[in-house]
Amino acid sequence: MNKFRSFSILTVAATYLLIFIGGLVRVSGAGMGCPDWPKCFDRWIPPTNINQLPDHIDPALFNIVLAWIEYLNRLFGVFVGMFISLAMILAVKNYLLPKKVKVAVISAFFLTLIQGWLGSVLVHTVLNPITITLHLLLALLIVLLLVYAAQSSYYIEFPVLETHSQYDSKLKYFFYTLGVILFIEIILGTEIRGGLEMIRKENPNIDSQFLLKMLGPFKYAHTILGIVIVGLSTFIYFKLVIKSTNPSTVIKSTSLLIILLVFSQIILGEILVFFDVIPLIQLFHLWFASLVLGLVMVQYMAWNRSQLTNE
Amino acid sequence: MNKFIYITLTFLLLMVFGASWVIDTANSSRVLKKIKTVPNFSFINQNGQKFTNFNLEGNISIIDFMFTNCPGPCPIMANNMKELYDDYSKVHQVQFISITVDPKNDNIERLKQYSDSYGVNDVRWQFLTSQIDSIKNLKQNGFMLYADNLPQGHAVKFILVDHNGMIRQYYDGTDKASIAVLRKDIKLLLKELS
Repeated sequence: MNKFRSFSILTVAATYLLIFIGGLVRVSGAGMGCPDWPKCFDRWIPPTNINQLPDHIDPALFNIVLAWIEYLNRLFGVFVGMFISLAMILAVKNYLLPKKVKVAVISAFFLTLIQGWLGSVLVHTVLNPITITLHLLLALLIVLLLVYAAQSSYYIEFPVLETHSQYDSKLKYFFYTLGVILFIEIILGTEIRGGLEMIRKENPNIDSQFLLKMLGPFKYAHTILGIVIVGLSTFIYFKLVIKSTNPSTVIKSTSLLIILLVFSQIILGEILVFFDVIPLIQLFHLWFASLVLGLVMVQYMAWNRSQLTNE
Repeated sequence: MNKFIYITLTFLLLMVFGASWVIDTANSSRVLKKIKTVPNFSFINQNGQKFTNFNLEGNISIIDFMFTNCPGPCPIMANNMKELYDDYSKVHQVQFISITVDPKNDNIERLKQYSDSYGVNDVRWQFLTSQIDSIKNLKQNGFMLYADNLPQGHAVKFILVDHNGMIRQYYDGTDKASIAVLRKDIKLLLKELS
């Protein structure tokens, strides 16, 4: 048991780091750093010198920095893929794990294969915006499945957890709503980013501030949903941490962290709107969003656990 | 718990510094070297007007060599050029220049027909013709491209020329990935221009 549990937590951490690196590829504009897939300029180790380029590849495509940024993303992707494969083997071999958890890890494994294939589609379509969004959504789905599996195995090993805590039993639909809104909010966010790039392509001279104004309704929907998320997560914090009996450390820390992250998100988002579209801020804005999603999953699982044990 | 917070904050700081280093390195890696100045030339465009190397000055030019009867890569190149022509319709500093390598067939009328068929309605896309020797000379010695077997043996390159008439980069005019890079480089040159 122990093996799968500790390994699955490591896998979750590595996947989050990969989401960060993927975002970094996006904001540094290195998505086409390697014009082919899976090799990079027809080599397993990207060229370090323009003279190493094969004849059939256009030298204009070669930028050593961008090639290596993209390639590190691919290498780390393979690394995480191996982690997920190992996690799957450990899960399947583990007779204590319920079928649901095994299915979650196996699904994560197959989604990871699809994710790799999507990576190749991205290169072949020269970064089609819809594919970029799918690539992100799939990453989020994978990480959620892994979080679910890791936490379930935790509860199997330590059955006493959450049994002494009592929370409001009517929170289920609040969690569901929050989860759905978070997904919509992330998609809206990618639409804003994609929209910015579309308008920029046609109006290369326009500055970012003016661009944001052109986006109009998407931006307002994103802000309004952001406020809804603040409200919902504060309400859940209030119910779980303050209006509860003996809340667990997991509940207390995840709830606090969610609040902290959601408020940071508002600040980061407003910086993007009022100052400039700064790539580093864009990167953390997206990554924090993915962390919030995972943490809400943990929060929900902990709450659900106490409901089951208190029935 | 405190230890955990410290470790997390350290990691976060590392990520901030690491990521900003990567973003900065990526930005500064996008430099376009100056390859060589386009030599003097004086050609005629599809409207019968003179077009010379002085028309390159103050503009960002994307230049290719083609001919209207070309069956192979030219239609792909022309379609890619057309896409750029449409996308940059609001950016008047960017112009497109297609030079025929088959002046015997591609006279002014033929070029005019061809430009009409691609919906060219302003001066941003010029189709040029001249004497075959001048074209060959410009291609071979001016743009350093293969020109031994014209018209068939023409290159499929798009050439990016800056506002000082300086060649900055070559792209594969039939390859979408190469053209994506061209778009980024046009943006860089527009920054130089402003």
